[in-house]
Amino acid sequence: MKALLFIETDGEKVLGGSLELISALKALDAEGKALVAGNRLAADTVAALGIPVTFVDSATDGDTLTAVLAEITKEENPDIVLLANTALSKDIAPRIAVRMDMGCVSDVTQINKIDEKLIYTRPAYNGTILENIEVEGSTVLTIRNGSFEKPEASSTADVIEKQLVIAEDDVKAKIIDTVKEITESVNLEEAEVIVSGGRGMGSAENFELVKELASVLGGVVGATRPPIEEGWISRAHQVGQSGKIVAPKLYIACGISGAAQHTSGMMGSSYIVAVNKDEDAPIFEFANLSIVGNVSDILPLMIEEMKKVKAQ
Amino acid sequence: MQILICVKQVPDDSIEIHLDNKAMKPNLKGVSQVANAFDTYALEMAVRFVEANGGSVSVLNVGAEDSINTLKNCLSVGAQNAYLAKDDLYADLDAMATAGVLADAIVKIEKDNDKKFDLILCGMESTDEITGQLGAMLAETMGKGFISRAIEFSVKDDLLGVHQETDEGYNVVSLELPAVVTVSKPDYDPRYPTIKTKMKSRKAVIPTFAAGEIGQVKEAKVSCIEYVEPPKREAGIKIEEKDAALAVNTAMEQMKKDKAI
Repeated sequence: MKALLFIETDGEKVLGGSLELISALKALDAEGKALVAGNRLAADTVAALGIPVTFVDSATDGDTLTAVLAEITKEENPDIVLLANTALSKDIAPRIAVRMDMGCVSDVTQINKIDEKLIYTRPAYNGTILENIEVEGSTVLTIRNGSFEKPEASSTADVIEKQLVIAEDDVKAKIIDTVKEITESVNLEEAEVIVSGGRGMGSAENFELVKELASVLGGVVGATRPPIEEGWISRAHQVGQSGKIVAPKLYIACGISGAAQHTSGMMGSSYIVAVNKDEDAPIFEFANLSIVGNVSDILPLMIEEMKKVKAQ
Repeated sequence: MQILICVKQVPDDSIEIHLDNKAMKPNLKGVSQVANAFDTYALEMAVRFVEANGGSVSVLNVGAEDSINTLKNCLSVGAQNAYLAKDDLYADLDAMATAGVLADAIVKIEKDNDKKFDLILCGMESTDEITGQLGAMLAETMGKGFISRAIEFSVKDDLLGVHQETDEGYNVVSLELPAVVTVSKPDYDPRYPTIKTKMKSRKAVIPTFAAGEIGQVKEAKVSCIEYVEPPKREAGIKIEEKDAALAVNTAMEQMKKDKAI
């Protein structure tokens, strides 16, 4: 079986979730080739992980990338095309499916081979139910961030540069300006420690405790929807179905009750600590460590204790 | 501007849906069927645009008889026309086949009314399946330009300007009409119906098309073979201690023991 991996880049940087596609190859039992568009250094980074790369020096807007991936798919004729589930790739995957007449499965978290058939598992209904999906014929998949391991460095494979002419008619949507309202850079997807706050933080002042604990731990601040709607923190910090899907080593949930909307985005965390004054909070049903208590009492003490640990 | 919104009917997303362990299907008992939240944002965005600039707003659903109610609800919050594509053949469509039915239905509506749609809007994803595939597939199927995650749009000389939501803010994207655009949550909420608009929408007659009238149904390539419950994470240690300092000390010891810090 042949697989084509679409590796998404941001300048020279290869997006973390895209690299996990390399590990998904094992579950598929497939031979893989990668496509990198736009940045040659990024192509070299991917080749260093032992996977042959086709590099196309093109623009990186959605329309162009769709045309590039369709063209390379035509040439390579893979059984499966894999993409990460970033905003951009989520747009490209279904378009490739229609153009190449392939089945499309989004947000896959697991791949299993049962009786020679590939079964794709994906969450629905905010992750409270999983669907097992089967596809007739060749397939386009987007893979949820954190579902597969990051690949290890391997013997370097080749990068082959390919010239493609993109028809003018293929690029209909033109990005004329990029407006940044949020200047901070928030990298929840690759964070090893996340400290998140929910409605239970109660106020903007109290939410500062979440930020302080995150900073002491060298982690990233996360949030559920209510603190964002209240304006305590920007929406770049949202974790959950309508925010970011995260998988840190340590996730500390403060004043978060545990609605599926949010928890579906953080279930992949290795160790979950929850602080909530409601002893029946649903988050306590699966947290590794639950602390029943008021966040405004617990967090200042925890911040001090964590400082001591970090100073050692 | 003639705007069409493709509306999906979904179980009320304010209710947490779980698996019915006997039927091994999502348990939707007692859960009302509503218009997908992102589709209602698209509808509100379109209605606001037409109120300011003129034109008309139509809604289209592929579904069953019970979709009539959802379509009437759309009529009560600003849509002028509603259409339903309904056929037993539509029971097990995948996203691509649904996009095919929508595209065919759009051609049929345009022909019947002798008027083309300038802009087709969809929610960026549905709250039940959350695949987010449909808008992009519809654009491809119809051979139209596509922009996702709009939070605002404007039109100048047949050129659509869209604010496309990004992590840090938004892109300003331009695209020729007609086009397909998916909508994210803008910073306003959809309006509520009034008693008057509600009464009026109850009486509306909704043109309904069967597969035979609009086109051949594409066979589904993607099928859900089973629903399963997500693996349960075991609850760990729970510290219920009145004294906060004691609670934190116990927690710190436990985290160290578990090598979490």
